[in-house]
Amino acid sequence: MDFDSPDVMKDFPGLYASELNKQCNNDSDYSDENEKAMKKDLIGKRKEKKDKDKGYAALEGESSADENFKSRSPSKTKKAKSFKFSTKTKEKRDKSREKEKDGDKKKDRDKKNDKKLDKEKGKNEKTKKLKQSLDETADIGDILPIFGASIEVAVERSRCHDGVDIPLPVRECIDYVETIGISFESVYKISGTKSKVLQIRKMYNQRGNINLSDYDTPTITSLLKTYLRDLPEPVFTNDLLIRFEEAGAILNLNTREKHLKILVDNLPPYNKLLLAWLITHLHNVSLNEKFNKMSKQNLSTALNHTFHCSSRLLHALLHHCPALFPNTRIERYVPPLESGAKLPEHPVEIDRELKKQESLLTQIHKEMNVCCISKQREELLWEVQRIITQLKRKLKSANKDKEVVEKVEVVEEKEEVKEESQEPSDTHQKKQNLSSVPECQCEDISPVDIEECDVNTESVLDNTLALLQLKNDGLHSLRDSLLKDIQEERNQILMLKSQLTPEMPPVMMIPNENLDEVMDLFLKENQILQIKKINLVRQIIEEQEMCIELKAQIISKS
Amino acid sequence: MSKKPTAQPALHKVIMVGSGGVGKSALTLQFMYDEFVEDYEPTKADSYRKKILLDGEDVQIDILDTAGQEDYAAIRDNYFRSGEGFLCIFSITEDESFQATQEFREQILRVKNDENIPFLLVGNKSDLEDRRKVSFQEASERAKQWGVPYVETSAKTREHVDKVFYDLMREIRARKMEENKTNNGRGKDKSKKKKLKCTIL
Repeated sequence: MDFDSPDVMKDFPGLYASELNKQCNNDSDYSDENEKAMKKDLIGKRKEKKDKDKGYAALEGESSADENFKSRSPSKTKKAKSFKFSTKTKEKRDKSREKEKDGDKKKDRDKKNDKKLDKEKGKNEKTKKLKQSLDETADIGDILPIFGASIEVAVERSRCHDGVDIPLPVRECIDYVETIGISFESVYKISGTKSKVLQIRKMYNQRGNINLSDYDTPTITSLLKTYLRDLPEPVFTNDLLIRFEEAGAILNLNTREKHLKILVDNLPPYNKLLLAWLITHLHNVSLNEKFNKMSKQNLSTALNHTFHCSSRLLHALLHHCPALFPNTRIERYVPPLESGAKLPEHPVEIDRELKKQESLLTQIHKEMNVCCISKQREELLWEVQRIITQLKRKLKSANKDKEVVEKVEVVEEKEEVKEESQEPSDTHQKKQNLSSVPECQCEDISPVDIEECDVNTESVLDNTLALLQLKNDGLHSLRDSLLKDIQEERNQILMLKSQLTPEMPPVMMIPNENLDEVMDLFLKENQILQIKKINLVRQIIEEQEMCIELKAQIISKS
Repeated sequence: MSKKPTAQPALHKVIMVGSGGVGKSALTLQFMYDEFVEDYEPTKADSYRKKILLDGEDVQIDILDTAGQEDYAAIRDNYFRSGEGFLCIFSITEDESFQATQEFREQILRVKNDENIPFLLVGNKSDLEDRRKVSFQEASERAKQWGVPYVETSAKTREHVDKVFYDLMREIRARKMEENKTNNGRGKDKSKKKKLKCTIL
C-alpha cells in the first residue's frame, strides 16, 4: 500500500483517470483513440437502435443506465459519416483486438469503458474519488470494471468458480429469476429502480458481497439488461450480427435452424456460452408463460434492444433453443465456501471445493498484480489460502483412508481367492487323484496338479481316496458358493457405483453442515463394519472347512 | 484490559520465507500440529491459523508458508505486503540457503519499506550437527548486522520451534502497540489533512 502509484492517485485524484490510461498504454498510444473508439461504439449502438426503432417505433426504451450516455453521444452528422465506414473500421479494430489478447489491451479497452461510466456518472465522480483517497487504495471498480468490459475480460474478472465461464453477475441474475422471478408477471418487461441497479452494478465492479435476494425482480432483470447493454459489442459479435439477422429472417424453419446453428458454433467460446445460458434461461421463462405472461414473442420484443438485435432474431433463437443449445442446463451457482463454514468430507466434494477455492485465489492474485486491493480483499486472500490448505490436508488424509479401505477390500478378496486356490493344492498334498481338480479356476495350478496326481495314483489306498474325494467335493461346493458370493458382491458394487454418480449433484446442494457430520459418522461406521465383516467371513470359511472335513471323516468311517 | 475478553483476539500475520527445502513447511507443521513430515513436497503456498496463549493473552496467529522455489515468486510477493512479521529460514547444512537469506531480507524491506519490521533469522536442521556448513558465529553476525535475533531450530526434534513463533509474535505485538500510540497522535493530523483535501476538491 506504500506503492508510488496509489499515492499519486491519492494526492491528485483529478489526474487519476488519465494517469491510468498512460500507465496501461506503455507500448501504444491507444489512449488517443479511446475517445474515437468509444464514439464509434456508441454510434454503432445508435445505428442499430435507429434501425430497430423504424420497425418498432412504439417501443419505449426501458429506463437504464446507459440511456444517459447514449443521449450524450456525438452529433448526427458525425454519426452519419462514420456509419458508412463503421463496419469496416470496426471489423479491423476488433480483429486487431482479438489478435492482441494480452492484458494491456484489455485494460485499455476497459479504461475506455471506465471513462464511459465516469462520464455517465458525472457528479458521482468527485465523491468516488474522495472515497478512493480515503480507502488509500485505487478503486478496483474503476481500474478493472466488470460491467462494460468484454465478455472474456468480464469472465476473467468475475468468475463463477465452478467452471461455468459466464460472468458472475449474469449467472446470479439468472439464478435469481429462475428461482424467485420466474412467475413474476411481465418479468423482463417491467423496469426496476434505476438507482438500485446502478448501486448493484457498482458493488459488482468493486467485488463487493452482494445478496441479490435483497432486491425485487424488476431490479434484477434491469441489472441483467444493463450488463448486456454495457457490453462493448453485441453477444452476437459485430462480425456475425448481420449474418445472424439474415439467418433469423429465413422463413423455412429447418433451414433457419441449420443456419443459426452454424452461426452459433462460429461464435467465440465465451460469447457462445453466454448466449446459450441467456437463451436457455429466457426459454425457461417463456415456458412459464401461464404465470408470467411473457411468451417468446413478448420476451423478444422486450429484450431485443438489450441484445442489440431485432426481435425477430431473438424470437427465432428462443424458438430453436432446444436444438441450438441442447447441452445447456441452468445450474444454480454455489459460491466457494467462506471461512468458518464446515468443509466437505467426501473426497469428490473436497476436490470440487478445492477447485473453486483455487479459482478464486487465482483471481485475487490477478487483481493484486494489477493494482492495490482493499484490506478486505487482502484478508480474503489469506482466508482462501487457509481453506485451500485445509482442504488439501483433508484430501490427503481422505486418500490415505481410502487406500486403507481399498487394501482391506483387496486383502479380503485375495483371501477368498486364496482359499479357492488352496483347495486343489490341499487335496494334491494328500496325494490324491482327483478328476475334478482340472475344473478348478486356478489354471496355473491345475495342470501341475494333474501331472503330479497322475504319478501318485497307483500308490493310493482306496480308503483315503474316498475320504479325500468326499472332502474335495465339499470344498468344491464351498468354492462355488464363495464364487457366487463374490460375483454377487461385485454386481452390487457396480450397482451402488452407478447409483452413486447420479446422486452426487443433489447431495451437493444440501447445506453441508449436517451432511458432513452424518457422512463422517457413516464413513467411520462403515470402516468398522467392514473390518468386522472380514473377520466374520474368515471365521465362517474356516468353520465351513472344518465341517467338510468332519463330514468326510464321518462318512468314510461309517 | 477489560475490553479484551469481549473483543476478537489479536491476529498476528507471520510469513515464512527462505530457499526451497530448508524446512519452512516442516517448522510450520511442527508448530501447528506437532507432526514432523519426513518426505519433501515443494510448497506453492499454504496458510494456517492457530489460537494460542501468548503471555496470558489469547491471540491468533496466521502463518503463511511460502514457496522456496522461484517459480512461485509472484504469488509469494503478493503476501509480503500483508505480512506483519517474518521468519527467514535457512538450513545450517546448506550454505547456499544461508546466502539466499540476504536476498529475502532485501526483498521484504523493499516491500514493507520498514527497517524495523519484526523479523527473525532462523537456522533450521540443528539436529544435523555433523553436517553443519554454516557456523553459529557466522549466522549470528549477519543477524546482528541486520539488528534481528538469530535462533537455531530443529523441526525434527521440535527444538526452539515454539520459541521462534512466540518471539516473533511478541515483536509484532510490541510493534503494534507502538504504532497505536503514534497513530493516536498522528491519526488526528491525518484526518485533518484529508478533510482539507476534500474542501479543496
